[in-house]
Formats: sequence, C-alpha cells, structure tokens
Amino acid sequence: MGFLASLGAPVRRFLVFLGDQAHLVLQTLRYALTLRLDQLPVVGAQARLQIRFTGLDALLLTCGTALLLGGVTLIQAFSQLSGLGAENYIGLLMVLIIFRELGPLLTAVLVIGRSATAIAAELGTMQLNGEVDALAAHGVNPYQYLLLPRWLGVLVSVFALVVFFDASALVGGFLVARLKHGVTLGFFMDSVRDALMNRDLAATLLKVALFSGAIAFHACHYGLGIRRSQTEIPQAVTKTVVSALVAVFLLDGLVTAFFYF
Amino acid sequence: MLLADDLALDAPDGRPLFSGLHLSLEPGANLLVLGPGGCGKSQLLRALAGTLPPRSGRVRVGGVDLWPGEGALALAGRVRLGFVFAQGGLLSNQTLRDNVTLPLRFGGMSAGEAVGRAERALSRFGLGAVAGFRPHAVSAGARKLASYARVAALEPDLVILDDPLEGVESGDRAEVLDLIQAWAADPARTLVLALEDPGPFAGLPARRLHLAPGGLSPSDPEQP
Repeated sequence: MGFLASLGAPVRRFLVFLGDQAHLVLQTLRYALTLRLDQLPVVGAQARLQIRFTGLDALLLTCGTALLLGGVTLIQAFSQLSGLGAENYIGLLMVLIIFRELGPLLTAVLVIGRSATAIAAELGTMQLNGEVDALAAHGVNPYQYLLLPRWLGVLVSVFALVVFFDASALVGGFLVARLKHGVTLGFFMDSVRDALMNRDLAATLLKVALFSGAIAFHACHYGLGIRRSQTEIPQAVTKTVVSALVAVFLLDGLVTAFFYF
Repeated sequence: MLLADDLALDAPDGRPLFSGLHLSLEPGANLLVLGPGGCGKSQLLRALAGTLPPRSGRVRVGGVDLWPGEGALALAGRVRLGFVFAQGGLLSNQTLRDNVTLPLRFGGMSAGEAVGRAERALSRFGLGAVAGFRPHAVSAGARKLASYARVAALEPDLVILDDPLEGVESGDRAEVLDLIQAWAADPARTLVLALEDPGPFAGLPARRLHLAPGGLSPSDPEQP
C-alpha cells in the first residue's frame, strides 16, 4: 500500500495542479467576457504596464541574444558544411533552426526568467499583504484586474519578442554570410523566403499563444498560492521557473510533432 | 443585509475556531464583534466579506449568496462593500489616490468624478498633500487613514472594520470616530466592527457578538 501511495501521490498532485490551472484559465476567460466597456481603460492600463515590462524592457536583451545566435548558427553551419555548398542552405538553416524552434523557445525562456518570476513574486507579495482580498472585497475582480492583463500583456509581448528575435537572428545570420561568403542581401532573403512555409507561421503563432498562456498562468498560480509567509515567495518563484520551463518544452514538442512529424 | 447560517470557521493553521454561528442583520443595523486576539474575529469578518471560505455554513449579503459560492466576486455590481483591514490592504504599486479611485472606476464611475471623490475623501483625513505617494512612502497611520478614505469614497452599503483604531494616530482618532459614528447612525448602512473590547464604541447602538478562544459555539448576538 505504501508503495502504491508513493506512486499515486505525485500523480494526484499533478492532476490537482492541472485542475487548478484549468480553473484559472476558465475563470479568467469567463470574467473577461463579462468586462464592461467602462472597465476596459482600467484593465487596459494594467495590460500596457505588463507589455512595457515584459516586452519593451526585454527588447534589447532579446535582440542582442538573437543577433548573436543567428550569427553563431551560420558560423557553425559554415564550419561543418563549407565543402558542401553551405551557402545554398542558408535560408533552410535559418528557418529550420531559428524560425521553427529557437525563436519561440528562447523567447519563452527569456520571458520566464524575466517576467514569470516577477509576476509570481509580485502576486505573492500582494497576496500576503491582503491586497488581493482587498481588491475582491471592494468590487475589483482579481481575475479581471490582475490575471487578464498579465495574460494579455505576456501574449502581446511574447508575440512581439518572437518577431524581433527572428528578425535580429536574420540580421546576425546575414552579417556572417556576408562577411564569410560575400552573400548579397537579395540572395539571403530569397533563400529564407523560399524555405519558409505557411505552416511555419501557423506553428509559430500557436506556440506563441500556448507559451504565453503557460507562462502567465504558471506564474499566477504559484504567486496567488502563497498564503502564510515571505519565505514562500522564493519557493514560488523557483517553482514557477521549473514548471513553466517544463510546460513550454512539452508544448514545443507537441506542436512540432503536430506540424512536422 | 447580512445573514450567516450555521457558520463554522477554521484558523489558518487548521484549528477549529467556532461552529454553529447564526447571524442576521437588517439594513442599517450595527454589530460589534468582541473577543480576545486569536479567537477568530478577523476570520469571521473575512468570511462575511466573502474573502475567506468558511469550513461550512452559509453567508448571504444583500440577498446575494457568498458561501457556498464564489465569495466577494458575486457582490460586484450588486452590493457595495467597504472593508478597512487591521493592517495592509492598499495596493503597494499604486498611489493613495489611485487606491481610492480604483474601486470607483471599476464600479463604472467616470475618471473625473472618481478622482474628485477620491481627492475629497483623502483631504478629509489630511492626506491631500500625499495623495500622489505610494503606501510605502507614507506612515502606517496615513495608510490606515487612506483605507478609511477608500471606504468613505465608495459609500458602501455594508462597512466592515477590523480593529478600527489599530494604527490610527492619536491626532486622527476624532476624525475616524466621527466617521464611524456617522456610518453607525446611517439607516441605509450596515456596520460591522471587530475589536478586543468596546472602548470608545461602548455607547454605539449595536448588537454584540462575543467570541472566545477554544471553539465556542456562539448563539445569536445579544440585542443592544
């Protein structure tokens, strides 16, 4: 019995966690549909703040990372495939490695590190200070005022950051291709365009939607789950990072398998 | 206005506080919840406000079921509730003005009208000069007064005050007491206060509910 219980406990915890996540998502969607027009400016202001922190403030970091990654990807490709006409596969390599996989995935990792942690810590502190209870008691629905704008803010930010990540990686890749093989911009862009397919865009959009939901709701779940003391805050932040990373990698695998397997 | 039926509450550590509480308050009635620290006064207020689910029992405010149900979320747009917590409760990332304005804006008031009402409520407590400051930038006393200003600006149907004079500086007590007396005398407003002993509220026309530690099952509150 003890052995069975030790097997069942983590499964039960995981199912409870999934149930909590589903409840958060459904409640947020439900209350989003009941928002009144006169409440939109208040919720919109909160979403703008989240976009500024998650998107705008992370733009330089994301673009810098992508620029280096795009360049490094092509340096490695050229070093291994220099005898095989690697310059003919520039576009395919960029699309396969950057657009399809690393763009959405690394953007999500950066957002988890910068923003999911901040959201979990902020909501945890608010919970401990009684701010969430005070909001609810005074007629300010926390699903509408706290969760919805964070979700929307992360969604818009992840989408924008993925676009900037891909564009910066292209710039990095082009610079290497230009310096190494004298590739022209026209040839480089044609090569990328030929390799890109509609399903790449569809897969990226689906990943953006799923990743941003996973990031926002993992952070909200662990942040709002804090009840007793300040010492729970770093624990919640750590759990948010680990759990959101696992979710993002899992979703990435599922979407990739769905579109390309 | 307020109905609690067979209410049972637990402390945050899981210890039972009391069970079988029956409570019924008409609109305009006042209730003093009295008892020593740790007997569950704050927990009771939070359950009545819909921010803490009870172990069992039913709570209804203004004809709206809070428990069983979704708590305070069910009151939005139906019953205005104002709660002054013993400590905390102000949004730390908003100015005092925005803290007062937010419930008004969310309730559908225009920005201009909400700011005007917030400024008047803050000025009443001498907080006009610090209205643009965040809670951490003002004294604990000012934070408590800002909580009162938030409730006063909201003009709620049900006012709940947890340890109403805790943290109020001596120079501000008269203003706070005046406001509470006015709420208590208002036939359209229901007032619930929790404190260890009645003190300055001994003469308040209110029913009294005595809680005691050790799982007491309180009966219907005595009449004034």
